[in-house]
Amino acid sequence: MNAQLDNPPETAVLELPPEVVKLAIKDLTFFYGQKQALFDVSVSFAANAVTALIGPSGCGKSTLLRVLNRMYSLYPGQRAQGQVLLDGEDMLSPRVDVATLRARVGMVFQKPTPFPMSIFDNVAYGVKLYEKLSKADMANRVEDSLRRAALWDEVKDKLKESGLSLSGGQQQRLCVARGIAVKPEILLLDEPASALDPISTARLEETIAELKRDYTIVIVTHNMGQAARLSDHTGFMYLGKLIEFGETEQLFTNPVTTRARDYITGRFG
Amino acid sequence: MTAIGAPRLSRRIGEGAFLAFCWLATGIALLALAAILWSLLTQGIGGLDLNIFTKSTPAPGSEGGLLNAILGSLMMCVVAMIGAVFIGVLAGTWLSEFARDSHYGKVIRFLNDVLLSAPSILVGLFIYTIIVAPLKGFSGFAGSVALALIAAPVITRTTEDVLRLQPIALREASVALGAPVWSTILTVIWKAAQGGMLTGALLAFARISGETAPLLFTALNNQFLSLDMTKPTANLPVVIFNFALSAYDDWRRLAWAGALLIAATVLTVTVVARILAREQRRS
Repeated sequence: MNAQLDNPPETAVLELPPEVVKLAIKDLTFFYGQKQALFDVSVSFAANAVTALIGPSGCGKSTLLRVLNRMYSLYPGQRAQGQVLLDGEDMLSPRVDVATLRARVGMVFQKPTPFPMSIFDNVAYGVKLYEKLSKADMANRVEDSLRRAALWDEVKDKLKESGLSLSGGQQQRLCVARGIAVKPEILLLDEPASALDPISTARLEETIAELKRDYTIVIVTHNMGQAARLSDHTGFMYLGKLIEFGETEQLFTNPVTTRARDYITGRFG
Repeated sequence: MTAIGAPRLSRRIGEGAFLAFCWLATGIALLALAAILWSLLTQGIGGLDLNIFTKSTPAPGSEGGLLNAILGSLMMCVVAMIGAVFIGVLAGTWLSEFARDSHYGKVIRFLNDVLLSAPSILVGLFIYTIIVAPLKGFSGFAGSVALALIAAPVITRTTEDVLRLQPIALREASVALGAPVWSTILTVIWKAAQGGMLTGALLAFARISGETAPLLFTALNNQFLSLDMTKPTANLPVVIFNFALSAYDDWRRLAWAGALLIAATVLTVTVVARILAREQRRS
């Protein structure tokens, strides 16, 4: 297929076959008070895959992520319309218990945010909210989570030390461990490597690639190389709209829309 | 293009004069503090002996100490702090976590600031009117309520300030794990801010331990050793006030010793609060 059409489309969103879809967003609009930040976004994310969201600053990619676990509902004045279907159930419905939703849809933030408690307690914190585990089971859960986040070997001898004593890269992997310890189905990553050095970033990327087997991952990133390395699907957003969504390789090598092509080739951004 | 040379003479004079003025002002303040501490130390140290801690306030001409006043002050301050910490921490938390930008929050924050700078004698008169007069009696509890009313706004303010310093991301990170807001505040935010909150409470304690005016109308005084806070209760500030104005040398010596005792306590508590605050910033 030749992307260099005479009349390239304004938007091009790949529709995934229903059987692979974990999370489906339908006609989503979002407002910060009076200011509209998302315009009729409709897209689906596949299970056990990494989906990257890219686009220039302020395009709405972080906003989209914050709708998926309803983080926005902490702030009066922010509201979303449309549907976010997790296994077919609308997460924006007022009947949904947001705390349970957030336990199913985990999130890791831009800056590492370890809690002011020990490394062990950081990981156990979320688990304790929903499960009553025996001491041994909890120890296993913590170890398992730290192993998956590729942090176990570095911290196994100092689990009682403060989470704040770790380096930035370790803190971020601690936050990943904390996020997966509650066994969510989806993991949202909001520019998780933007505050990290290249070596820590590489380790975090390995971790994410590993986690894909068990989780549905959505990652917002400024780094196009990272999106290309990590993701199966990529969405390009611009000014609150989803411009193009497709297989990562296709989107990076042969974008259909002019906007996506201009962004990826570095003509703006 | 203009060359970058030495600053102009007028600017150098201006800067030098400003700096000299800053030094002078700092010097005056420090000198006043040193003079106060010096006179307290020289006049008070003579009266400081074991009797101070073992005997109650004497009749003029007989031997005695300040035991009843020390104990009374301690009891009233502790009871006041229990109430003030309870109110102050919860009010500060509400202002920081639930009413940051709301209209009610702004009004209450303003009223709290007014209360913070209210003359303490007014607080004493207020408690006299609503507790002492209706109950027809001075009491240690009334004193505690007056002191709590002075300490609570301090704790409210410091609690709100240190909670506001905690990053939004920390709250969101906890909520993102499925934690309810109340558990986020209790286990994450309070924990992150505990050093600062403790510092605020200690500073409030230092503030009320030397207050005299609110106790004159509430706790009054008591010559004898008593643990009954429903009765007039002895306390250091009022004893100092009465004894310092008296004509008896031994009473005046006790007043100086008491003043030294309070100053030393306040100094110690403040220094501990500072150290804690520094530790908190470091972690």
